[in-house]
Parts: sequence; C-alpha cells; structure tokens
Amino acid sequence: MGDPLVLMKDVNKHFGDLHVLQDINLGVDKGEVVIVIGPSGSGKSTLCRTINRLETFESGTITIDGRPLPEEGKALAELRADVGMVFQSFNLFAHKTILENVTLGPVKVRKMSKADADKHAIALLERVGVAHQADKYPAQLSGGQQQRVAIARSLAMNPKVMLFDEPTSALDPEMINEVLDVMVELAKEGMTMVVVTHEMGFARKAANRVVFMADGQIREQSTPEDFFTHPTSDRAKDFLGKILTH
Amino acid sequence: MKRTVVAALTAILALVMVAAPATAYDKSSPAAGLPPVLKVGTEGVYSPFSYHDPSGKLTGFDIDVMNAIGKKLGVQVQYVETPWDSMFAALGAQRFDVVANEVTFNDERNGLYDLSDPYVETTGVVVVADDNSTIKSLADLKGKKTAENLTSNWSEVAKGAGATIVGVDGMTEALANLRQGRVDALVNDKLAIQNYLATTKNPGVKVVAQTDDVSRSVLAARKGSGYLPQLNSAIAALKADGTLTSIYDKYFTAKVAAPTTWELVRNNAWPMLRATITNTIPLTIISFAIGLVIALVVGLARMSSQPVVTGLARLYISVIRGTPLLVQLFIIFYALPQLGIKINPFPAAIIAFSLNVGGYAAEIIRSAVQSLPRGQWEAASTIGMNYATTLRRVILPQAARTAVPPLSNTLISLVKDTSLASTILVVELLRQAQIAAAPTFQFFAMYGVAALYYWVICLALSAVQSRTETRLNRFVAA
Ligand SMILES: Nc1ncnc2c1ncn2[C@@H]1O[C@H](COP(=O)(O)OP(=O)(O)OP(=O)(O)O)[C@@H](O)[C@H]1O
Ligand SMILES: [Mg+2]
Repeated sequence: MGDPLVLMKDVNKHFGDLHVLQDINLGVDKGEVVIVIGPSGSGKSTLCRTINRLETFESGTITIDGRPLPEEGKALAELRADVGMVFQSFNLFAHKTILENVTLGPVKVRKMSKADADKHAIALLERVGVAHQADKYPAQLSGGQQQRVAIARSLAMNPKVMLFDEPTSALDPEMINEVLDVMVELAKEGMTMVVVTHEMGFARKAANRVVFMADGQIREQSTPEDFFTHPTSDRAKDFLGKILTH
Repeated sequence: MKRTVVAALTAILALVMVAAPATAYDKSSPAAGLPPVLKVGTEGVYSPFSYHDPSGKLTGFDIDVMNAIGKKLGVQVQYVETPWDSMFAALGAQRFDVVANEVTFNDERNGLYDLSDPYVETTGVVVVADDNSTIKSLADLKGKKTAENLTSNWSEVAKGAGATIVGVDGMTEALANLRQGRVDALVNDKLAIQNYLATTKNPGVKVVAQTDDVSRSVLAARKGSGYLPQLNSAIAALKADGTLTSIYDKYFTAKVAAPTTWELVRNNAWPMLRATITNTIPLTIISFAIGLVIALVVGLARMSSQPVVTGLARLYISVIRGTPLLVQLFIIFYALPQLGIKINPFPAAIIAFSLNVGGYAAEIIRSAVQSLPRGQWEAASTIGMNYATTLRRVILPQAARTAVPPLSNTLISLVKDTSLASTILVVELLRQAQIAAAPTFQFFAMYGVAALYYWVICLALSAVQSRTETRLNRFVAA
C-alpha cells in the first residue's frame, strides 16, 4: 500500500482556551474502516470535521490522497466533494424531495445531466433501500430512512472517503440496525470510512481499527478485538466499563 | 393672494441645503426671452385658481390667465403640478420656470424671485359658519380657532389678530374644518371664497369681514430669469383687451353648476383607476422588486465575516429605518437637485421606495437565513457546493418560507406608502383623489373610492400571499 488516503500530522486546534485537538496524528489507509470512540467532549466530532475543514485548525497538516486541503474557495469545494460526510442529525435538504437531495450535488457541482443523475440516484436509493420513497420530502420519512438517504446523497458524489459522526445516535433503537447494515455493506465493498460511534457490534463486524480519544488526544489505537477485550489505558478501561454496563 | 414660504418646508430643506451654495438657484444665467416651452408650476388642487374639471383637465383662473399669456407671447405652456409647500423649492430646483398660483407680491419675496406685474388684485375675508353671530370682524378672532395653511400669509393675518391657528393643507380643507365645526373661522382670499359661494349649493358659511390690505397676484420666476419684460407686456395687453376681465367673470361672478356626488364618483372612478394602474401599481411592483435585490445584498452583507461590510450594512439599515419615508422622498426629490442631481418624480419615488424596502426587508431576510439550522450549510458544503450555489439552491428556498409572511407585510405597507409619492408630483391614486375632491368638497366620496382601491389591491395581495405560503409549506410534514 502507498501513502494513507487520509493523513493528519500534528494537528492542533483550540476553541478559545480549550485545546480540543492536541497533536493529532492519524492515518487512514484506502479501504480501511476506522472507528473513533471516546467520552463526550473528547473531540471526536471536531476531529471528524477538521478532516473536511468544516472546522479550521491552527497547526499541523491534513492531506487527502496526498493533497493538502486548501483553506477556502473553489479548490476546497472540489476536494470536499471527495470526502463524504454523514451527520448525526441527517441534515437533508428539507425543501427537496428524496431524489432531488441525491441529485443536487451531481447536477450542480459535478454538472452531470439530470437524466444521468436521476438514474444514478435511483440506483443508490435502491442500494440503501428507500427507492420507493424517492418523491417524498424528508419530513415524511422516518429517521432511519432519512439517514440512509443522507448516505446515498454522500455516495452520489463518489467520495474517496466517508466520515460518519454518530450516524445512529439520533435514531430510535429499532432503526439503528437498518442504518448500520448499510454501513457494513459499504465497508465490505471497500469504502474508506472514519466512523464516530459507540456501536460496538458495528465496530466488531466492520472495523479494522479502533481509535480511542480522550481530552483532545488519541490515547490508544488497536484492532476492535484487542481494544474491547484488553484496553491498555486507564481512561479506556474506565470508559469501556461505563458503556458496557449500560 | 399672499403667501410666504415658512415653517415646515424651510426646516426640512435647511437640513439638506447645508452642502449647496445659495447660488445654486441662479445657475441659469440671465437668458434673454422665454424658452419655447415654458414650464409652469401650479397646485392643481387650488380651486378655482388651479384645479381639475370633472373630465380631469387642468383648469382655473390662473391656468386660463397663463394660457392667455402663453398665447400672447407665442410660447407653449406646460404645467407641472406641485403642492404649494414645495412650490418654491421646486422652482429653485428648476423643475419649472414660472409659478402661476396666486403668488402674492411682497418685498421679501421680491428680493428672492423675479415677480411680474399683478394680474389680479384681491383682499382677505373672514369666513364663519352660517350660525355664528359672535365673530363680526377681524378683531373678533382674538382667542378663536382658525384653520389656515401654515405657509400662507392668511395664517399670519389671523395670528396677528390673536387667533389660534389650526394648520391645514389648503383652503379646501380649511373650509371643511369650518363646516364641520372644528374651527371658529378662517381667513382666506376673497376671490377663492367668492368662487366657493358661487359654486356651492349649501355653502354653510358666510363672509363677515374684509381685511384692509390689498394683495396683488403675480407670476414668480427665478431671480435673474430675464422673463419679466415679456411677461409684463403680455399682462398689460390682456388687461387692455379685456381678456383678464372676462376670465375673472367666468370664475367669480357667474354661477357654475356643481356636479352631484354620484356624477363625481362616476367621472373620477376611471381616472383614479388609471392612476392606480399607471402609477400606484407599477411603483409598488418595481420598488418591491428592486428593494428585494437590495435587501438580499444588504442582508447577506450584514452576516458577512468582514467587519467593514457588516458595519456598512448596519449603517444602511439603521438610516433607512431611523428616518421617515417622507423625509427620504424629499431628500431625493427636492434636496439632491441642489447638488446637481435632478431626478424625475417617478424614478425618484422608485429610488426612495426601493431603498426603503431594502432596509426593512434586509432584516427579514437575515433573520430568515439565520433561523435555518447550520447543518444545511454544512451538508451543502460537504457535497462540494460553493457559497453562491448553496445560497441559491439550499438556503434561500428554505428561508423564503419563513420570510414570506413578513415580506408580505412589507409589500402591503408599500402599496399604501406609495400614496406619499403624491407629495413629489407623482399623480398616483391619492393625488388623483385629491385632484377630484378639491374643487367639489366631496372628500368622503373621493377618499372613499381611493380607500376602496387600496383595499382591493391589498386583498388581492393577501390572497397571493396565502397561496404562496401553502406552496412553500408543502415540504413541511403535516
Ligand atoms: N463551535 C464550538 N465552539 C466552542 N467549543 C466547541 C465548539 N464545538 C465543540 N466545542 C467543544 O469542544 C469540545 C469537543 O467537542 P466535540 O463535539 O468534538 O466532542 P465529541 O467528542 O464529539 O463529544 P460528543 O460525544 O458529545 O459528541 C467540547 O468540550 C465542546 O464543548
Ligand atoms: Mg460529537
């Protein structure tokens, strides 16, 4: 394998006095699925969001496929489309139908023809199992369906890597699996993924590596099996103790 | 008839004149002779001197005299209708060349303007309600309320006699107030009152005394115009050949038949509708469209991360919202010409209304955009959309849903605010109603029709609003 697809080197970020990312070094290889786990406020979302520059950072470098992310402008917009992102709160475009949500990027950003975009979008919606809802508006769908549409919307841009920030934590329990199943499929098909989640089942099934964060630092990295059975740091033991008893 | 420009107008103009040197009035160097098309400023609502007959045609004593003068001198006369209070400001701003509106000769005015020889002489009269038997002379006005135009010198005469002045727009309103018992008396021009008594079936008022001063009506032009020799020779010729006398008799001696309310409504329904279609509605639509564009730019600037840009946007919004629309109109129409920027009435109104809508709607658009979750921006940028595309495809369509109800309010207010354009010579619906009401005292009928027209427009807009809201709400879960 060559260079990592996503490479973070000595990345530091503050929110005012809060040192939210401290000397972050993280590489994600092509096809790798990395789970980011850690207590609330440890900086998981921020880490995810700096990768596509939804958050700025003060020092260090981040490269995608060897290219550093530009700070702003057209070049940033282009590179961002290579990094798909799925949010906890779905963030579907409320005024667009499901189909339009998926075709908007390809048509307006990639300048794809409407017909091609529609065809591609229907295929993606079939893949995530919501093709029959294509003409509805987001508010008419359940949370699980909306999140699957959001995944299809990201996939429509043919991203090189997908970021997921707690994609299932806003969902009712019975809908969590329908979203995780889609993500497991994606992982199997070789998508490079960075996933912030506490879903251990998913981690065991699909992840190559678990990254444990606490207080803005990466404290531990290992395979899911190792991490869940023999965590090394006290913070990780403590954290796992808490979530496993739930 | 004597009048002096004082009070309100002077105060407003003083504010905006500071930058302009006084000589701005004298820009036209003394030209020999009159222009081939002589522009004449006149009120158009000052019956019987300058008003519109039931067919909508401008007529009156001063108009007939001016037409006769034009004919004598072989120049074409073109009238520019202007409210009295703005008459001399508009003359100074070169919106016309001569004022024919019962301008009274006095020394102060003679120092400021070129004044012609008089074409009619008159005096003041004290008018009271028919049933009033306590006021019999000018001196009896002491402690009484009289209705006067604040910038007319009748107001000074009444004040000099110890009366309390109730300010009104013109003689028509003064008489209405007197008939309605809101004031005890009025002092006004004998000719005007004589005409009113001659043309009204139940005048309800009577003349009880005359003032002792005689006033001479003259034409006024800018100082140094060079028009006086020709104007004076024409007036002399009209006096000599009896034309002036016959015009005088036509208005002040003969009994003119007054139209009934119904005739008046019938005669004016169409002119008023036409004014609505040709002025009120276009003013509203064009100003609103331009205003929305301004609002979008200013609203976005207001949310900018650049402090200078935000500051400018804030300043604009603050100035627009912190000053009366009427003052904004006056600055654009009457004050800018003193800086050499002369804008015609309609475009001036469009500019003022657009800027005004821009200021108010900017805040509406800003708050609508800011009410959207940040995730909408983020989701758009993660699929590679730039700022402009995000705005156009994602943000504005959703913001529209929140913005439509308040924007509709702005639009409906604008419909009614266009009536202010009547003060800067735009003959829109209200101005047309004033023109119709002035010679006849049929306020209720004419303003009633105007109110009805405004109301119908607003009803139609409300209907459009609720349809738009339904359409924009379709994506919200039931
Ligand atoms: N825009 C912001 N401004 C200031 N502080 C912020 C901002 N966003 C996050 N923070 C703070 O940074 C810290 C890390 O936040 P982050 O959202 O990355 O944590 P997290 O690990 O994702 O937590 P959670 O599990 O609750 O989602 C928190 O203390 C949070 O309050
Ligand atoms: Mg988070």
